[in-house]
Amino acid sequence: MSHEALHVQHLHPMPTEAQLAGELRFKVVGRLDTHDMPRPVSGRKVRLPWVSIAVLAIIALGCLLANIIAPGDASYMDLASPAKAPCAQYPFGTDMMGRSIFAMIWHGGRVSLLIGVLATALSTVIAVVYGTVSGAGPVWLDTLMMRVTEIFLSVPSLLIVIFLQAILGPANVVSISVVLGVTSWPTIAKVVRTEVRQLRQSEYVVASRCMGGGFMHVLIHHFAPNFLSSIMFMVVMNVRGAIASESTLSFMGLGLPLEIISWGSMLSNADRALLTGAWWIILIPGLFLVVTLVCMTNIGNALRGEVNRGERNL
Amino acid sequence: MTRKNWIPYLIKKLAIFLASVLALSVIVFAVSRLSPGDPLVSYYGERTEKMSPAERRQTMERLGLNAPLTTQYVRWLEGALRGEFGISYKYKQDVLDVIAARIGNTLLLGLPGFLLTFVLALLLGILCAWREESWLDKIISKAGTVLSCVPEFWLSLVLILFFSVIWRLLPSSGAYTIGKENDIGDRLRHLILPMAVMILSHLWYYAYMIRNKLLEEIRADYVLLAKSKGLSRGQILFRHCLRGILPSYISLMAISVPHILGGTYIIETVFSYPGIGTLSYESARWKDYNMLMVLCMLTGVVIIFANMLGQIINERIDPRIRASEGLEVPTNEP
Repeated sequence: MSHEALHVQHLHPMPTEAQLAGELRFKVVGRLDTHDMPRPVSGRKVRLPWVSIAVLAIIALGCLLANIIAPGDASYMDLASPAKAPCAQYPFGTDMMGRSIFAMIWHGGRVSLLIGVLATALSTVIAVVYGTVSGAGPVWLDTLMMRVTEIFLSVPSLLIVIFLQAILGPANVVSISVVLGVTSWPTIAKVVRTEVRQLRQSEYVVASRCMGGGFMHVLIHHFAPNFLSSIMFMVVMNVRGAIASESTLSFMGLGLPLEIISWGSMLSNADRALLTGAWWIILIPGLFLVVTLVCMTNIGNALRGEVNRGERNL
Repeated sequence: MTRKNWIPYLIKKLAIFLASVLALSVIVFAVSRLSPGDPLVSYYGERTEKMSPAERRQTMERLGLNAPLTTQYVRWLEGALRGEFGISYKYKQDVLDVIAARIGNTLLLGLPGFLLTFVLALLLGILCAWREESWLDKIISKAGTVLSCVPEFWLSLVLILFFSVIWRLLPSSGAYTIGKENDIGDRLRHLILPMAVMILSHLWYYAYMIRNKLLEEIRADYVLLAKSKGLSRGQILFRHCLRGILPSYISLMAISVPHILGGTYIIETVFSYPGIGTLSYESARWKDYNMLMVLCMLTGVVIIFANMLGQIINERIDPRIRASEGLEVPTNEP
């Protein structure tokens, strides 16, 4: 953005009848030099965590290029060398079934990240529509819809997930994304609803509606630009949450089966690895998982912005 | 709130509580019956496959599994009101007996873990706020963020790997060594790892909250006043600032119950700890309907009760909060 802004002089604090009749409301008097103007001290500042972004980008790139980094079938079982410690042939060792952990990390990372993104995309769409309807709707509908979210929030999501998973039958990437997506929307929906509730009486929304703007039009052009910044943090956190939930479920045997490689399902036969002390089977996929989650948390926290608190009195 | 309003208030809360529990029971019942999977398998195991269709029908009849859902629900509810929840298909025992044998273990792990988490989080939060922006605060904050990202199951695996498998210091599973059921020391040794996971994975979320609330609090004007009166930093922090945030912390403890409970269930499963969590997991996997229903109801009732308690505390602290405005429920994010 340019450092210069058009300097407009407000002629009248309130529109008079003459203005409403079409008279000029602002007079352009020249360019305003913003260099010397004091920047606002309070408020939230976004400082991007470049290290986290870089690490996450490397992991994501590695997963995208999995076929180049580790060509061949990642689920190929070298039955002659199960649970082999890291060596030249297998940089990260092999698991109990003789599969190369190095190849599985990159191929499995695709699945884990994809589930995170898919689940979050779904939950964000649900949350935005739900929150907008609740915020823009009549009071009784709003109360009812917010009650539903509270009930939803008070049940441990793991229970709902297990139930839904049981109904949908054997898990695959899409079904587990759907399950995680439909269970993680309430927090975002609440924020969207609050923002919409504040905005819906503002002049431009009323004007837009008067001119015939439909629900989707108002949502996309007027509500979304306002609540996007406040939900970005939660969206990133939801990606993180979905990846963590997928790994927990797959580990417990309630998520992806062993054949569909993800960072979670790689850990699902960890108990047998524990008995033999094969640390690489447990530590390596987990480290990738945790590093990804930490990077996402840092990015999410940065998006939320730092609070400038000012001097302490103590 | 005046004394006169107490009774209608309590009655209203009780009514909401009962309505929630009833709604919960309908949902849990419907979902558990609609989900696929053969409950006969959990009852008879492999033998189910050898049953003739006629035998199957008879068995379903005897167990009351082929009546319409509404009839099954009413039958279940009648039994529940008399304290009969049926028998576990898997354990072939009264559901309540199986639960009773294990609930002590869960309480033994859960209650001290829950309290320790909140006490340690409080201390850590105070320490960070006291030394704000110092290297100590920064290191703890960074370490805390990383720790709060580690999934509970993986933290459990790593601790088991190091403490049980590699260093052979602590037991990796169960609640006691067989033959040492009454040895307190042995039981405590089995509790160390699960409880460590429980505390470590939740600690920072709450400590961070305390830290931020305290940082807001020590910027209030009354702190200046107290300082000018000659109070020491410690006196101001502990007598005034802390007092301002404690009530909301206590209500937060109540609201956090579902969050921590969910985590405990995972931890119990990883450590094969014979508690309610492992039991829930098993009954979900083996379609042990009666057991699953009672466990879900039990969990749900605890959660509804805890939420309500948090709401009541919040309303007492700040009368402006009306029940309809709801509460902030903690999520996984710090």
